[in-house]
Amino acid sequence: MSSTPADDQFYREYILDHYKNPRNFGRLENPDISHEEDNPLCGDVIGMEFRVKDGVIEDVKFHGRGCAISQAAASLLTERLKGLPLEEAKKISKDDVLGELGIQISPARIKCALLSLKVLKVGAYGLAGDDEEGE
Amino acid sequence: MDPFMSGGDMIKAVRIEGTTYHDLPWKFEAGTQAIAEVIGLGAAVDYLSGLGMEAVRAHEREITEYAYEALSDIEGLTLYGPPPSRRAGVISFALEGIHPHDLATIADRDQVCLRAGHHCAMPLMTRLGVAATARASFYIYTQKDEVDRLVGSIKEAQRIFK
Repeated sequence: MSSTPADDQFYREYILDHYKNPRNFGRLENPDISHEEDNPLCGDVIGMEFRVKDGVIEDVKFHGRGCAISQAAASLLTERLKGLPLEEAKKISKDDVLGELGIQISPARIKCALLSLKVLKVGAYGLAGDDEEGE
Repeated sequence: MDPFMSGGDMIKAVRIEGTTYHDLPWKFEAGTQAIAEVIGLGAAVDYLSGLGMEAVRAHEREITEYAYEALSDIEGLTLYGPPPSRRAGVISFALEGIHPHDLATIADRDQVCLRAGHHCAMPLMTRLGVAATARASFYIYTQKDEVDRLVGSIKEAQRIFK
């Protein structure tokens, strides 16, 4: 009815496509790295599992649930990660992820867009493992 | 009980060896009192009394019933909570296949503000079996055409996510 073209810009076809048909969705058997994060404010959950060989991400899968932005961002990120050296993956920045999404993200939705990056970073740097050892 | 906040007027004496707090209630009322807020509250009470609380409630009930009926007609929309006769001016709902945050973003473009999330009621969300809901609230300044706009936003979201 009264919606503006901006809506369609925000929920662009490829965002919706990644939301409805997420790439690399599922679980890996015996992953080398496995980590999950949630956003308690909205209930979004993203987990990622990696198989790493000779320092290169051989395979990656993600699982989770949440809004279109969080799920599409995770799907896009996994596409980028496959075949990437782990050291390169660690360098992926907030701006890289937002640029890949290619839409204007409002402050309220930034956490949705960056949840998968947080999973990647914490997983790749082994911070989750450190935490568990510390407990 | 120790005070959680320190500030003006909440002590009797401070020594290197220890502090003696003021008597109640001053002990728990550190610093400048909420003077502006109390004056503002008085103005708000005058304003609402001028409208009449019966009229406030009547409008709230009318607009809530109107919205409840309009939302009930939308396919794929689940309403939570009691019928409008036993409601305050709020309606929580969820759309099949559309996360409340996505709906809120789309409604936002139509100048309709929805609250989306677990509404600080996570145990209730667990009980209902949902991660989050969207919530519209109505008050004395809410008009029916704004409810119509919300319905339009919902239909637009369903079109985008179809």
